[in-house]
Amino acid sequence: MGKKIIIDPVTRVEGHGRVTVHLDDHNEVSEARFHIVEFRGFERFIQGHPYWEVPALVQRLCGICPVSHHLAAAKAVDRLEGLDPEDLSPTADKIRRMLHYGQIFQSHALHFFYLAAPDLLFGLDAPVEQRNVAALAIANKELARKGILMRKFGQEIIRVIAGKRIHGIAAVPGGVYKSMTAEERDYFLDGQELPSVDQMIEWSLEVLAFIKNYHEKNAGWLDVFAAYTSGHMGLVNADGALELYHGRLRAIDAQGNITLKDVPDEYYRRYFSEGVERWTYLKFPYLTHLGRDKGWNRVGPLARINVCDYITTPLAEKERQDFKAYSGVMPNNRTMFYHWARLIELLHCAEIMRDLLHDPDILGSDLVRTGQRRSEGIGVVEAPRGTLIHHYEANERGKLTRCNLIVSTTHNNEAMNRAVREVARQSMGGHPSITDAMLNQVEVAIRAYDPCLSCATHAVGQMPLQVSLFDANGILIDERLRS
Amino acid sequence: MKKIVNFTIDGKPCQAPEGENLVKAAAANGIKIPSLCYYEHIDPPLGTCRVCMVKVDKKAFAACTIKAKEGMQVEFNVPELNDARKAMVEMMFAEGNHFCPACEKSGDCDLQGLGYRLGVTISRFPHLFLNRFIDYRPKRIVVEHNRCILCRRCVEEVNTKDGFPVFSFLNRGASTEVRVDYDQEAKLDEEEAIKAMHLCPTGAILVRGKTQPRPRGERKYDLQDAGQTVSTPKAGMAPLKGQPKKVIATTSLAGCFGCHMSLLDIDEELMDVIEVVDISKSPLTDIKKFNRRCDVGLIEGGCCNDENVEVLKAFRANCDILVAVGECAIWGGLPAMRNFVPLEECLNEAYGHATSDLEQGKVIPHHEDLPELLDRVYGCNEIVEIDYYIPGCPPDASHIWKVLKNILFGADYSIIKSEFKYD
Repeated sequence: MGKKIIIDPVTRVEGHGRVTVHLDDHNEVSEARFHIVEFRGFERFIQGHPYWEVPALVQRLCGICPVSHHLAAAKAVDRLEGLDPEDLSPTADKIRRMLHYGQIFQSHALHFFYLAAPDLLFGLDAPVEQRNVAALAIANKELARKGILMRKFGQEIIRVIAGKRIHGIAAVPGGVYKSMTAEERDYFLDGQELPSVDQMIEWSLEVLAFIKNYHEKNAGWLDVFAAYTSGHMGLVNADGALELYHGRLRAIDAQGNITLKDVPDEYYRRYFSEGVERWTYLKFPYLTHLGRDKGWNRVGPLARINVCDYITTPLAEKERQDFKAYSGVMPNNRTMFYHWARLIELLHCAEIMRDLLHDPDILGSDLVRTGQRRSEGIGVVEAPRGTLIHHYEANERGKLTRCNLIVSTTHNNEAMNRAVREVARQSMGGHPSITDAMLNQVEVAIRAYDPCLSCATHAVGQMPLQVSLFDANGILIDERLRS
Repeated sequence: MKKIVNFTIDGKPCQAPEGENLVKAAAANGIKIPSLCYYEHIDPPLGTCRVCMVKVDKKAFAACTIKAKEGMQVEFNVPELNDARKAMVEMMFAEGNHFCPACEKSGDCDLQGLGYRLGVTISRFPHLFLNRFIDYRPKRIVVEHNRCILCRRCVEEVNTKDGFPVFSFLNRGASTEVRVDYDQEAKLDEEEAIKAMHLCPTGAILVRGKTQPRPRGERKYDLQDAGQTVSTPKAGMAPLKGQPKKVIATTSLAGCFGCHMSLLDIDEELMDVIEVVDISKSPLTDIKKFNRRCDVGLIEGGCCNDENVEVLKAFRANCDILVAVGECAIWGGLPAMRNFVPLEECLNEAYGHATSDLEQGKVIPHHEDLPELLDRVYGCNEIVEIDYYIPGCPPDASHIWKVLKNILFGADYSIIKSEFKYD
């Protein structure tokens, strides 16, 4: 007889992500799950605090994308103060945008160079010791150096605006604390102490050339690996273009039909529900009118490239067209294309930062506006990993009474579970035992989503995986720790 | 004119008008005795916080309550008293609920400034985590009792124009709390309320619409020397190439990964570091199980579930030196805000009635594949012995690496003000 799963203490080390696989009588995969095993309870303990403290407090959800939480909360707090995003001064709006795009730039650079690139460069079956950024740096100094400097550029944008790189403070209710000085601006333009923003654009194009070439050479597996249909969701601007800071919610189905038609972000609650499962702390959001089975969406770079009509910056738009030319006019439902889409956004962010750095408004002095208190505030941004929703209610005295957060990675929960199931079926189905190569594939599929488990939990891209294999009676027949 | 008297502080001859309190008298002689409740024109001084402790003729007193006398011998900068003063400050951190990263007064807070000056990284006393309330009833002011250190400044100083006090002490001993007279508070104009906010040494008195957290670099204790010694850092670099690489391991428990990000924030220097340091088990690598002895383990985050505890114990068992990196690892940090709320309530809020799924009914995650949540969030040193503490949310990258290089290669270092923060 098999045994109940016994999790050895060491195997659970950093087990923020865990996969379980169930097999039927014919050793085919009947169920595969991606478990999120951490819970912190922000939504409850934030209650009772003064609402204006929220942007500083809540960014502690995540040290990888704190700016996204800071700004989503700030937008919600603006609304509590009676100000919609359009009501902010041009300087406040542009400084916040600069911060946001700098953040996405650094996050995308982090994911590609520090986390994903080792898989792509060394291959899925490379030895464990090689699959990390240190090995990458030793093997390819120039690439690693560029990756480090690109992340640094984004982090420095954040530091200059928010006072520090991680968990800084820039936004205040109704605006920003400060704008940029000419010296601060020039630091990013003149290429003296730091490679310039133009250099960032150039390097983004280089890495895009790399990924396109990689796709051409590896189409065999990239085109089919963890490919499955889903809805896609992201913000778009009034003209339907890619928008990351403030826009309307658009979702499409796998064929490209609109399922959520550019609705104002404040109405999210009319359209979304969240499912809960006993076996994971991460909820499953879906579009209410389509139901739990059909209403879930991918979010993040691939979804955003799928839903938008075009990109406002010319070089990124050209790259989007190349992407479409390669992958077809239909929405792309292939997991591995997330990397490519992410790099298109990397370029887009660099272009936006350049445009903002040349805009005199970022030096302005009109920083904060005031309005009439409201009882409810909703802030939605596109975080690096997808649509991020912050929702607060506060009483007339300023006490926070309710908080609902839907973080990006939550939207991708169903998608990542599908990815695990697909890859398990493709690689493990019919096999009585699990090989290291199979485990690696599961991880690569999850990693493509760049799951920010710090938001949902805490781990970064490469989580330890424990895979347990059950037979039809739910009895454990094999268990492997990816190590 | 008052008579001038002669006395000594740590043997140094000093002069002051007779009867002047010692904090003021010492300052006039270039000696800055740390003080917290002390406020310039409150006379006699309050003597509530005891941080200005000195010895006069071998007996300990709060310096602010001692008057300068001819021939008195004062001991101030000696190890015993330095430690006692530090302990006072640690007690205040442990008694209240001082979540610096979430406090708008952070950077402008006198308690924090004193912690910086005295080099407090962790409280030797266990945090009480008493659930104090935030009073929203006053008209202009919000009183954040979690941050109140009962210094008595507001009780003494905040009065209405017609002379009625706004604040008073209620109860005695450990149950003491500041009470607000709502009727009198309602008479304060905005300017008076803001004055009260600035009078408060911590972030316990807030004025609606008039407060905001400020970015680092703009704040009182960013600009001003809080008394901390500043010397030039001389973090020496790594050993000669060719020697075996040192091995570090890292983990994130109940943290946000910000400390790991800070670890990467030395940018190009990472290229040099990887020449001499191997990163073994870490979320940054694919090495998920200890496969060799590690010189240093870096712990981010406190312990919120049984899995965190197991991981932490495994780190203790496999690493020579353990470093608690950041506020969460040191004492629980922001996630410890849940320590005031019963666990069931947290789970109910997150899952019970978020955006509801009517068909499914209420489901709270609980499964054999999920770790058991602990009753509260624990700091790492409550579970295992910790060798070093690096404060911050997250700690500055250069602080982390100076400590690491010191442990690994014996490089000398000193921490400068901008690298020592609680937020």
